Amino acid sequence: MKSSRIVLVVSLTAAVGLPGCSQSQPIVAPVEVVVQPSTVELPDDPLDARWDSVVAFPAALIPQDMVEPRQLRVSTREVRVRALSDGVRVAFRLEWSDATRDDMPMPAAFTDACAIQLPAAISADVPAPQMGEPDRSVEITLWRASWQATVDGRGDTIQDIHPNAVPDHYPFEAASLESGSDIQRAMQQRYAPARALDNPMSGPREQPVEDLIGHGPGTLAPAATTSSTGRGKRVADGWAVVVTRRLPEGLASGKRTQVAFAIWEGGSEEVGARKMRTGWAPLLLEVKP
Amino acid sequence: MARVKNWQLGREMSYWYPESRPKKQFAAIFDTNKCIACQTCTLACKTTWTSGRGQEYMLWNNVETKPYGFYPLGWDVKLLAELGSQQWNGSVYEGRTVFEAARPGERALGWRPGEQDYAHPNVGEDDCAGNIDKGAAFAGVHMAWFFYLARICNHCTYPACLASCPRGSIYKRPEDGIVVLDQSRCRGYQECVKACPYKKVFYNPMTGTSEKCIACYPKIEKGLQPQCFVNCIGKIRLAGFISQPEDANPDNPIDYLVHVRKLAKPLFPQLGLEPNVYYLPPVHVPTQFSQQMFGPGVEHAVREYMHADADLAGLLGLFGSTEQIVPRWKRTGDFVYGLAEDGTELVKVPLREPIHERLALDPKFDVMRTNCP
Ligand code: SF4
Ligand code: SF4
Repeated sequence: MKSSRIVLVVSLTAAVGLPGCSQSQPIVAPVEVVVQPSTVELPDDPLDARWDSVVAFPAALIPQDMVEPRQLRVSTREVRVRALSDGVRVAFRLEWSDATRDDMPMPAAFTDACAIQLPAAISADVPAPQMGEPDRSVEITLWRASWQATVDGRGDTIQDIHPNAVPDHYPFEAASLESGSDIQRAMQQRYAPARALDNPMSGPREQPVEDLIGHGPGTLAPAATTSSTGRGKRVADGWAVVVTRRLPEGLASGKRTQVAFAIWEGGSEEVGARKMRTGWAPLLLEVKP
Repeated sequence: MARVKNWQLGREMSYWYPESRPKKQFAAIFDTNKCIACQTCTLACKTTWTSGRGQEYMLWNNVETKPYGFYPLGWDVKLLAELGSQQWNGSVYEGRTVFEAARPGERALGWRPGEQDYAHPNVGEDDCAGNIDKGAAFAGVHMAWFFYLARICNHCTYPACLASCPRGSIYKRPEDGIVVLDQSRCRGYQECVKACPYKKVFYNPMTGTSEKCIACYPKIEKGLQPQCFVNCIGKIRLAGFISQPEDANPDNPIDYLVHVRKLAKPLFPQLGLEPNVYYLPPVHVPTQFSQQMFGPGVEHAVREYMHADADLAGLLGLFGSTEQIVPRWKRTGDFVYGLAEDGTELVKVPLREPIHERLALDPKFDVMRTNCP
């Protein structure tokens, strides 16, 4: 009874919303993330006009202050979430304020980022919102601004960070080594141990997102493959990011699961556990009209 | 936090994990009085391990000129300032360690060097800590001083890098106590970079992971000393394994110098990591400075060093004499022997090298010799 009333509120507020992203906010803030159905291809561009007619859920962020290292300072306060689904995949559009673009990989520099978390299994009894529990995992998709910059074309050399840097010599670029040969590539890998071990963090990247599994704080591990896609762009006062992933298994039209979000403000040295996060919010897959 | 025994502090302390000592603990001794800052060690390491993209600025081994040299900039003084004034009571440390002084929400007290802090390794550092008055060079008294401090990861018994990693990506090898960072697990949070007081973990911007000294463990596994040890021109280094003080074995060169003769001192023991690289303190540096850097007992160490007996002088001669790790040693007469565990001779070094006099005048060609090429 309670849930159907909530849907009504959301639908009503959506109906009275004016066209245009900034003006579509309902008068009464929705209390859940409503995944609206889409009959056409899901928009992967955060600036696509189709997002304008989707109701935004304002998710309040709180500091991650449960496990060390803790976030003790409030930075980003809110992320506005829109969602669309074609019945197979779900596209989330996250938008938040962030005065600075932080996407450079450097010592003591951290990247802006966002993440979407869903329980691995749909259940009324959700896992702990802080990365799940040992026997109740969560699925996370992480987008990073630094990965977006790489996907958008930033190269993989020191000159891409410092254009005037002059390294003397890399052994794998010796004239005696045929460029692109197996020996040459093997030598290059030897000096990039994370790549040699196939750490998905270590690039090179084709997507600015990574699918991950969590079984509790400190357990984050890459999923077997990353099937999600993403795209982030700077907007007037921050970031707008679309992350598209498969619909949670078993989530039928009119059914609910839970979702949580996290935002990292790189310029405030937020990384890993140092982040702003939400608790679980209900997520409804809206019935096609 | 657990309570653990740190013999370098003479007391128990708080640490993130319970005490769990490895079967053997890799350790090293560096003789600061012999280092000439040639940086051969730095290059030996660099060419072996860190010649890749993203590793350009990394020096797992570096040599800096104290008191004004640092890599990265101000690594020690910044942390000492954050920690504030602390006290030793004899050989018992009564101050706070980096774990005990951790700020709320943190696992250790630390700071993050920025890119600029890594920008000038050993550039313009070889300047004295004061002006030299005219004529002072001939007075036979050190009116001003500096010394070279060679540094690698200390493969600490209580590593702050390990304690700070929220993912448990850093571990101590149970077989030799070498601290390694799992390159398949690291996600580049740089917590270890912040927490290591010695700043011996480095973030690789190309791979997005942090990297650190591995004590050349593939060599250690073969009974060989790391690259920076065997390439050392000044023969200042000796690698081996250290025992707990109560188990000290005088036949083990590291135990002998650290525990028996109390000559080799840890670097900033007050930080609480029980670091396993030990230093023979510089003989010409004000005691106050040495004490802050190497802990209590430096006066004794310097005195012993200055008046080395045959055993001590002989053992120092073993430094840099062989690529092999020398787990045992003995002196017989004018010779010092480096021995394997089973007593097999690995190397034999004379107490005094024979003197060859090279006359200034070459009698055969009747010309004056010169040292210029
Ligand atoms: S010196 Fe630093 S990097 Fe090395 S083990 Fe100790 S804390 Fe870790
Ligand atoms: S190679 Fe030896 S003498 Fe040369 S700088 Fe390194 S530690 Fe000092």
